Amino acid sequence: MEILCSREDFLTGVNTVQRAVPTKNTLPILQGIKLKASDNKLWFEATDLELSIRCYLPVTIHGEGEVVLPAKLFSEIVRKLPDSDLKIVSDDHNVNIYYNNSNFAVNGFDPEEFPEIAEITSEDPIVLPSALFKDMIKQTIFACAVDESRPVFTGLLLHIDKENILLIATDTHRLAFTSSVIPGNEKEFKGIIPAKTMNEIYRLLDDEEVLTIKYNKSRVIFEFGSVQILTRLIEGQFPNYKQVIPQSCNTKILVDGKKFLDTVERASLLSRDNYLKTNTVRFSVENSAIIINQHSEMGKISEQIEIEQEGEDFTISFNAKYITDVLKVINTEQVIMEASGSYSPVVFRPVSDDSYLYLALPLRN
Amino acid sequence: MGQLYQAISEVEENIAKLLNEVRSLKQYVEYLEEENVKLKRQLCAVSEADTARVQKNAARIQKEAQENLEKLYNEGFHVCHIYFGEPLEGSCLFCNAFLRKD
Ligand SMILES: [Zn+2]
Repeated sequence: MEILCSREDFLTGVNTVQRAVPTKNTLPILQGIKLKASDNKLWFEATDLELSIRCYLPVTIHGEGEVVLPAKLFSEIVRKLPDSDLKIVSDDHNVNIYYNNSNFAVNGFDPEEFPEIAEITSEDPIVLPSALFKDMIKQTIFACAVDESRPVFTGLLLHIDKENILLIATDTHRLAFTSSVIPGNEKEFKGIIPAKTMNEIYRLLDDEEVLTIKYNKSRVIFEFGSVQILTRLIEGQFPNYKQVIPQSCNTKILVDGKKFLDTVERASLLSRDNYLKTNTVRFSVENSAIIINQHSEMGKISEQIEIEQEGEDFTISFNAKYITDVLKVINTEQVIMEASGSYSPVVFRPVSDDSYLYLALPLRN
Repeated sequence: MGQLYQAISEVEENIAKLLNEVRSLKQYVEYLEEENVKLKRQLCAVSEADTARVQKNAARIQKEAQENLEKLYNEGFHVCHIYFGEPLEGSCLFCNAFLRKD
């Protein structure tokens, strides 16, 4: 293999695929990034067997071939190289990087050992605008579970049914739901996509691009620009999320989302609970105002926000993050909150927009 | 003449037999109707007295079950079908929905 390319392009390739390199100890070969030169394209590839990322750069190829280089060392080298043109030449499993009048040799792995990433050939993929999908990920992904004891909650349910597209995430304490429309789509897909995959799609997806989704029963490929993200679907049944959405409420309020976000963030500064690792915020809704009076050994905060209130007064406690996460992603200035007392889930929605909904359970104390 | 007389006698006999059958059928229908009314009355009697008792019992069992589930949830265990019986960390939307619905 012998190729010519700029250091900047090379760094882009490495950065694109590097997050698929497993962080935990696994097969040594998976700690590598595969480079493959063919057809005037240099392909970068990394996989943890669940998630694989692949991308290509147009480069000048003097000799085709493939190598696998240790990801960590290789990316550090590329980062620290001077900004110049590079010549990369492989010699058996090893690679020589020539820059200016210098040369860095890296010992690689046997490319034969690198797992083949199986293709999904789909004649009839789903095509949708990237900006729409990115927005949907942003509005839901934070509600996924971090704890891996129930894998279905570490993913997002993606349900495409003809023109309707839904994305739902829950960690059982809170749930985020968003829906949109793909005009003209006639295909159907339902599967649980790992949050890690969605994160990478969100990170790499350009608003201007078109996203193509190819799928079979167990795996999905997301393609955009020169990038391909392949993922295994999470096995198992996503629970019936509709049953947890309250159909009525005792109090409905309309609040300025930004003001409420700032207040909750200030109040949570006083309530760092190092034991529970959560910041508790407690507030009352009464006489068309949200009132926070919170104190700890660190200090005291008293704030009041004017709201529109319909229905009874109540006092409620939340993990502050459950409120700030959603207020950061609701796009409208005013936010609707629907509550039924101190212990029932509170629903958050943007004003006059049924496509998004979030609900969270208060703390019981 | 003798032959005709005999034929008419046979018809008369047949008609008498049929009439007898009709009469006994009529009695049977009467009996069934009476039985039906009696059963209906009995059924109503059962309903009024026992339906309330059965319903009350069912409500009590339901209430006890609900209270037990609520107690279990408040003591820190899941009662939803996803995690049933497992220790609860904080709260659970599915438990909450399950308890709310009942
Ligand atoms: Zn539960």
